[in-house]
Amino acid sequence: MIVSDIENILPKEQIKENKEQDHLLGNSGVQIIEAYSEEDISKVLAYAYENEKTVNVISGGTKRGYGGEIEKADILLSLANYKGIVEHSVGDLTMTVRPGTTLKEIADELALKGQSVALDPPWPEMATIGGIISANDSGPKRLLYGSARDLVIGLRVVYADGRVIRTGGKVVKNVAGYDMNKLFIGAMGTLGVISEITIKLRPLPKYEGLSLLHFPDGNGQPIRDFSVSLLDSMMEPVTLELLSPSLAEKLTGKSSYTLAISFEDRENAVIAQEKWVRENLPAGVELTVLHQEEAKKWWEDFRRIGPNGYNDEMNEGTTLAALKIGSNNLDVLDVLQTAELLAETHHVAMEGHGGLGHGISRVYIKGQQENTAAFIHALRGKAEEKHGYVVCTHLPFKLREAVNVWGERPTYFALLEGIKKVNDPKRILNRKRFVGGI
Amino acid sequence: MRKLMDIVGESEVLYKREDLIAYECDGYTMYKGMPRAVVFVQSTQQVSEVVKCLNKEEVPYIARGAGTGLSGGATPLGGEVIISMVKMKRMLHLDLENRKAVVEPGFINLKLTQSISDKGYYYAPDPSSQYACTIGGNVAENSGGAHCLKYGVTTNHILGLEIVLPSGEIVEIGKEGIPDQPGYDLLGLLTGSEGTLGIVTKVTVKVLKNPEGKKTVLAYFDEIDDASQAVSDIIAAGIIPAALEMMDDVAIEGVESAAYPVGHPRDIAAFLLIEVDGIVAGIDDQIEEILTVCKQNNVREVKVAKNEAERALWWANRKMGFGAMGAISPDYLVQDGVIPRTRLPEVLAKIKEIGKKYNLRIANIFHAGDGNLHPLILYDASVPGESERAAKAGSECLKVCADAGGSITGEHGVGIEKAAEMRFIFTDEEIAAQTNIREVFNPKDLLNPGKLFPQPGRCVEVKRAGQNEMQPVP
Amino acid sequence: MNVGEKERETVNLAGMLENGPACETKTLGNYLWDDLPDPNKWADCVHCGMCLEACPTYQETGEEQHSPRGRVYLIKAVAEGKLDINEAFAKPIFDCLDCRACETACPADVQVGGLIEEARGQIRQAMPLTGLKGAVSKTFLNGIFPNKKRMNRLAGFMRFYQNSGLQTVARKTGVLNVMPRHLKDMESILPEAGKPVLARYPEVVPAEGETKGRVGMLTGCVMDVMFSDVNEATIRVLNRNGYEVGLPKQQTCCGALHIHAGDRKTGKELAKQNIEAFKDYDKVIVNAAGCGCALQEYDELFRNDPEMLPLAKEFSEKVEDVSKFLYENDFERPKSEINTKVTYHDACHLAHGQGVRFEPRQLLKEIPGVELVELPDADRCCGSAGIYNLTHPEMAGKLLDRKIDDIPENVEMISMGNPGCMLQIAMGVQKHGRSEKVVHTVQLLDWAYEKDKEQGLS
Repeated sequence: MIVSDIENILPKEQIKENKEQDHLLGNSGVQIIEAYSEEDISKVLAYAYENEKTVNVISGGTKRGYGGEIEKADILLSLANYKGIVEHSVGDLTMTVRPGTTLKEIADELALKGQSVALDPPWPEMATIGGIISANDSGPKRLLYGSARDLVIGLRVVYADGRVIRTGGKVVKNVAGYDMNKLFIGAMGTLGVISEITIKLRPLPKYEGLSLLHFPDGNGQPIRDFSVSLLDSMMEPVTLELLSPSLAEKLTGKSSYTLAISFEDRENAVIAQEKWVRENLPAGVELTVLHQEEAKKWWEDFRRIGPNGYNDEMNEGTTLAALKIGSNNLDVLDVLQTAELLAETHHVAMEGHGGLGHGISRVYIKGQQENTAAFIHALRGKAEEKHGYVVCTHLPFKLREAVNVWGERPTYFALLEGIKKVNDPKRILNRKRFVGGI
Repeated sequence: MRKLMDIVGESEVLYKREDLIAYECDGYTMYKGMPRAVVFVQSTQQVSEVVKCLNKEEVPYIARGAGTGLSGGATPLGGEVIISMVKMKRMLHLDLENRKAVVEPGFINLKLTQSISDKGYYYAPDPSSQYACTIGGNVAENSGGAHCLKYGVTTNHILGLEIVLPSGEIVEIGKEGIPDQPGYDLLGLLTGSEGTLGIVTKVTVKVLKNPEGKKTVLAYFDEIDDASQAVSDIIAAGIIPAALEMMDDVAIEGVESAAYPVGHPRDIAAFLLIEVDGIVAGIDDQIEEILTVCKQNNVREVKVAKNEAERALWWANRKMGFGAMGAISPDYLVQDGVIPRTRLPEVLAKIKEIGKKYNLRIANIFHAGDGNLHPLILYDASVPGESERAAKAGSECLKVCADAGGSITGEHGVGIEKAAEMRFIFTDEEIAAQTNIREVFNPKDLLNPGKLFPQPGRCVEVKRAGQNEMQPVP
Repeated sequence: MNVGEKERETVNLAGMLENGPACETKTLGNYLWDDLPDPNKWADCVHCGMCLEACPTYQETGEEQHSPRGRVYLIKAVAEGKLDINEAFAKPIFDCLDCRACETACPADVQVGGLIEEARGQIRQAMPLTGLKGAVSKTFLNGIFPNKKRMNRLAGFMRFYQNSGLQTVARKTGVLNVMPRHLKDMESILPEAGKPVLARYPEVVPAEGETKGRVGMLTGCVMDVMFSDVNEATIRVLNRNGYEVGLPKQQTCCGALHIHAGDRKTGKELAKQNIEAFKDYDKVIVNAAGCGCALQEYDELFRNDPEMLPLAKEFSEKVEDVSKFLYENDFERPKSEINTKVTYHDACHLAHGQGVRFEPRQLLKEIPGVELVELPDADRCCGSAGIYNLTHPEMAGKLLDRKIDDIPENVEMISMGNPGCMLQIAMGVQKHGRSEKVVHTVQLLDWAYEKDKEQGLS
């Protein structure tokens, strides 16, 4: 009996049979096992490896709709209760944390010492650091602060056979051996289960301001010109995020393309940069400036858009989808405009935003399943024309069969497969969750 | 040899002993090994063909840039063919609006900044060897530099790579430099792989806009502990300087005897070189706070650079620091350990003890803000036994760093030098996890073999290989 | 080499260092001849590679053995007995331009130039030049440069050649086509040779007005024959600034080219003669960077000669480039405007060899109406490098092309402080169909003074 086998390894309370019907987002498991320690993870994986059981990994569940072609694996391993900051070295600006800790929990703890993790993905109250790193999630502030690959300096990873491997270290600069950290960031848990993360921190900004520039309808050229001149200036915006009119309406009450430009620095420096924006404001652009708590509040609202794994509607007519689009930095404008047009022709509702300085756009769709699928197909075609890509970061399980989540395999797919094979030869971890069915 | 000449042309292959001997080592001179030949390539296609040819003949090979590496990454163990990338040195594309440039691997680091500086842009990673080192070499070593405290190291600035795999296959990763492309982060894996996974033939880098303002502070301390404490206090004050460098008394003796003397007092224990950059309106506050921190930590004298010329001199004095040791010692061994910066005082004290134990002078020039130490162990190779003592002292310094929760290398790489010391920080299992990845790319281990990872008995082998006479040219 | 051998070698080297300068009976590894290279010079090199990109031959070839660091490594390898002195070793050593750019770049002040010259000395003793190369080298070095009469005769021939119309005939008839290409290039830019100053001027030329001081002046070989007008200008400028200029008749070729070529023996003979010739002067002014640098390094030349060394040291300290001398002695600022746009090329032996960069630029800037436009990579060798452009025409040609490419648009003049560079760059200007005038820095000052005179401003 399987259950008794695993029961010999872990206490009974940590194991339960999944009695649920099929989950809308899939990525489920026949058994749900709760890990409370790295040792638990290791034991479960060793057991699964030995018995060739497939394992899906979950913690906050916000990324449940991100990839995956198997509705139920043998085991759904939850890390949601393996949480807490292991070590916060204030003078070193580093922190070691367990994967099930939510970003909000981390931020609150660090704020006591005037520091923060410079990652601003959506749903910080729900998303855990392990999930954010495994999915390489990010937000508009990556423009200045970078993304997970720039911040993670060390990991502990439980490999498929239960071995615990350390990668990187606890120091901010380290080139000893291969930079193995990078392999696990954005690998969707297909190479191992991250059991501990050491990450670089930043001091909290002394002052922050947000300039919202509402561009009049029609022509995108002024947006582009203004963005180019800001990027070519010596200002140091933390964000240069363009919001589609639909999203802008929701967040600012104004239905027009809106640039959200953040500055975080000493007060003098923030004010000086806002002055630059005012002085270089194109004609006809309406400007709103928010400071401190107001600005923070705005960004908090911003981070509560899109699907979070729990806010899907069961009605197939209002299916939620989320897309991550990568493009050349300045093509973001084009991506959003194209998405807006395609949404209209495909009869779906669309909200989107993207960073003109970092090249990542997010588009959220609501509509009929077949319309959504057609929209994604069309947008992907357009993005690829300009060498970009479209990845579906949230789709109902059913739709994932119809829509290729990751797009075509890259030409060097054999290398990816080779790496997978080395780390997880039996393909037990998050099988078929990643590019090309890895 | 003939086959190689057919690919690249007769004049592009060196094989005479006199022409090869200068390729015995790179910037790390403790081990030497003769290459079998040196091949100059000028295109990706040539690299691919050369690699295919060598692969077929099962001849090991190494890609080499300027040869300024400090861990022996481009040094043959004996009998490898060196593929020299220095003639692939064009800038292929520059797109300032999207903040990226595409260069060939032989492009010189500093030239990149020079070629875009008129438009107000620069390339951030600035290893001290930037006058000569190549971007391809920087990618291989994941080079750092004085300004990576704020701006990160090479890996944070690489957007795309074209590489030739050991099979000869040409692969493009991070097409167009577009971020987060689906798939495992091979860009991140390849950067810093010390030329053991593939040969880089094109690099897409991120370029940055110059900061609006910049101010540089020089602070002289009578006690090294005070200087160390000041480092932590500056960071704790919420300031992230663009650079935070330290140099101790022995190092000061060296730089003041060399090409760019500043006139530092000779009787101080250490100085800090601190640079803050960013929006002008915010800099003065930060400088004030830095001055206050220094004063609280018993600084003897602290001053702000009056003009660009003064700032440039301070930096030249710092950047030429390693080479300057030639002025006070015939040889040096530079180590590259990293520690959590809060542990600077105890680790520096231990390094001093190591110097005493081996009766060797140790100079410290390093990136204090990152906790990236560079103990320079001064020795004279012509004194019997001194090289060996220096090597032992170096290894002990690394042990101290590893024991303090740090790493054995922050920016110079493992190469030949620190392969054995990898065991200070990784278990055999963890090392195997890495060599398994190598096998995916480089299954026959013909590409830069024997580097980066310890092998049973490797130390002895390396030494022997280093002293071998060259192999006969076929 | 096995360990034992290595140890023996190093012991030997350590011994050498302890026992002070090697005397002539000693050998060092495979250096078996007189005047051994100085192990202390390579001991300073830590192989860091900072010199690589400063080196014109490395920039062109990308080959390590053609880099300063590589050359030093090779020279050291011979001393360690790892290499023999042979053609393959000699090539990189002689392909060096001796431009000293690496010395500027070197963080440890390794004296690469001196080392190269010492190694060349060994090579030339080990394997004397033969064949055509030997003949050309001999003719120029031993036959002409140190021989005033022949030099004058050459000048005379050139004057005849240029004045007689033969030049025009030769150019038209294609007689020149039988000459090797680079000699032909040279021919086409030969300046109108004037009469050498040394032959025409008295031994002492008095100062204009009140005498502030007394200086000796080296007239040089090429400078005096090809550019006697520069020498005239130099004397006038010095006079104008209140200096009596001495032109001792016994002075001779500085020997730079011989030393560069490895003929240290002749170099020493010439040096001795110059030391003697200028013994009554406290200051020796030079307007040719190559010569100035050589004179300043006479102490290096006599490193292994305890008898001559103190005299050479004393002499070397007296030598100063004319631009530096004028600037440091508060030269008289001209009042007339010379309205022109000028760029400045750093002669290697001025910038790298003598560290003189600032003064000539400042001199130019302080002439009213002169607009100085910086030349990119101004201190990269133009390829002249003594007679390098004759012995290594291909490399010299590449460097010249790069130099000319770098010259900013719209400048009217290219100023510099060395006759070799003047010839080379003039050749480049012509070859590339450009129109800039090649001048010596002092000439511009001279013209301004002349203008002052004309306008009664002085």
